[in-house]
Amino acid sequence: MNCLLYARVSADYPNRPAVLDNLELAMGRGEIVGLVGESGSGKSTLAMTLLRLLESKGGQARGELLFQGRNLLELSGREMRAVRGREIGLVLQSPLSALNPAMRIGRQILESWRAHREGSPDVGQLLEMVNLPGEVSFLERYPRQLSVGQAQRVLIAMAIVHRPALLLADEPTSALDVVTQAEILSLFSSLNRQMGMAVLYISHDLLSVASFCHRIAILQHGRIVESGATEEIFVHPRHAYTQALLRAIPKPPSFPTDCHPDLTACPPCVAFPTANQAVTNGGHRAIESLVCASRT
Amino acid sequence: MRSVAAPLLLLLLMASFRYGGSYATQHRDSIDAPPCWRFPLGTDDLGRDRLVRLFDATRISLLFAGAAAMGATLLAAFAGGVAGYAGGWFDQFVVRAIDLLLSLPSLFLLLATRAMMPLNASPVFSLVVTYALMSVLGWLTPARVIRASVRSSRQSEYVLQARAEGCPEGRILLRHILPNLRPILLAQFWTSIPVFILTEASLGFLGLSAGEPFPTWGSLLHELQNPLLARPEAFAPIVAIALFVSYFKTITPWKGSQA
Repeated sequence: MNCLLYARVSADYPNRPAVLDNLELAMGRGEIVGLVGESGSGKSTLAMTLLRLLESKGGQARGELLFQGRNLLELSGREMRAVRGREIGLVLQSPLSALNPAMRIGRQILESWRAHREGSPDVGQLLEMVNLPGEVSFLERYPRQLSVGQAQRVLIAMAIVHRPALLLADEPTSALDVVTQAEILSLFSSLNRQMGMAVLYISHDLLSVASFCHRIAILQHGRIVESGATEEIFVHPRHAYTQALLRAIPKPPSFPTDCHPDLTACPPCVAFPTANQAVTNGGHRAIESLVCASRT
Repeated sequence: MRSVAAPLLLLLLMASFRYGGSYATQHRDSIDAPPCWRFPLGTDDLGRDRLVRLFDATRISLLFAGAAAMGATLLAAFAGGVAGYAGGWFDQFVVRAIDLLLSLPSLFLLLATRAMMPLNASPVFSLVVTYALMSVLGWLTPARVIRASVRSSRQSEYVLQARAEGCPEGRILLRHILPNLRPILLAQFWTSIPVFILTEASLGFLGLSAGEPFPTWGSLLHELQNPLLARPEAFAPIVAIALFVSYFKTITPWKGSQA
């Protein structure tokens, strides 16, 4: 595997020591890794640590953070600023809070571009990539005039404007309805294929992670307790916490417990919001089959 | 009220430009004349047309109060914005400086500074100094409000997003945070204008505003040193002040704001 990122870090906040406790994580180029853990396990702290933005929240990180051959923790402030956005992009959880309420959409995209380059990006092509209209009337809108799904796509467009090698997606679908969630996950998959961009997808939702991630890492109390290929995690979970997570996946009340491989061709529905996703992603087994396998 | 008052006051201002005469012209044949067709508000004890002086005073007071409010708001935006964003020792320094300056008796400072000015200072210079002092003393409270807003914005998700995009800190303050302060800055601006108008009126009543013959609302009030002996038409500046100050107090720029 061509290594893109290798992190072995610990992180503390003033009143919360060891939020990340010697956490070890590696990612290859173009790989989609899902990071799963409960609230407070350190998922978002890891995203902030990778961008070295922990200090702005009063935290401190130490250890080793090798990204494309450089230790990010040793870079100067100016060098690190050049990495943010251009080499590592970030998509936050709540798009309507992450977009500047006083700035029009077009201006926000331009600001992301101007952080590192002069001139203007090809906004039309960029918005097409995230399935948004590129019309002037859309670019003239303020964030409050967008739906949550549109706002999340704008945020993704801003994050990929410089075609970063790594995209950090910090629970980007938790504020979305199931249909939009499926669309956004499909978008991440297609961006990964088109641009060869690695994605660290942070979530507490094991199902959505399984729907499109190549690999899953389970985070508990600031440590990666288990990591492996998606199928392996679902079929042969080794750690007790992983097993507990799998058991906690809600079971549709009207659905029998046996597997339905024929359903993999079905469109997304309430019972299987990501079922179709697994098919379009290719190379993965249908989610419901994996869930069933983990329960047998 | 605002929809009625705004065109009315605008009409009054425009009429003032059409009304001829100079504020300093003395009509020696009509000293202290009562209202008549020629002088609708009569003349003062130097034979000057009260209406001409009131119109000129309205324009001058509004212009200077607006400029002083702009100055105070910009000072507040700069000091409060930089302190709130930078944090640390600079923030603490600005906060302590504001606390110290706010604890000084501002009216005493205004009176003392004006009283120290030479008697032969030009009327315009004395007015500029008066309003500049108001500006310098008027930014303190708005700066506290702006600092608190910037500190809150600094922790917001959209600023975190801008940082994650690699945006430089100065650009974050100017391009991302400042536009979000627009409603607060506008509110500070519009609320400062009536405060400055009333302060100048108080100073003028005490004879510490613009020197003669320059008319301001305050200097026109000086004629009312003994209100019991004053003619009723001499109270016209008070009506003008009350009208405009009430109007400014109805302006709420945060309603329907983009941000």
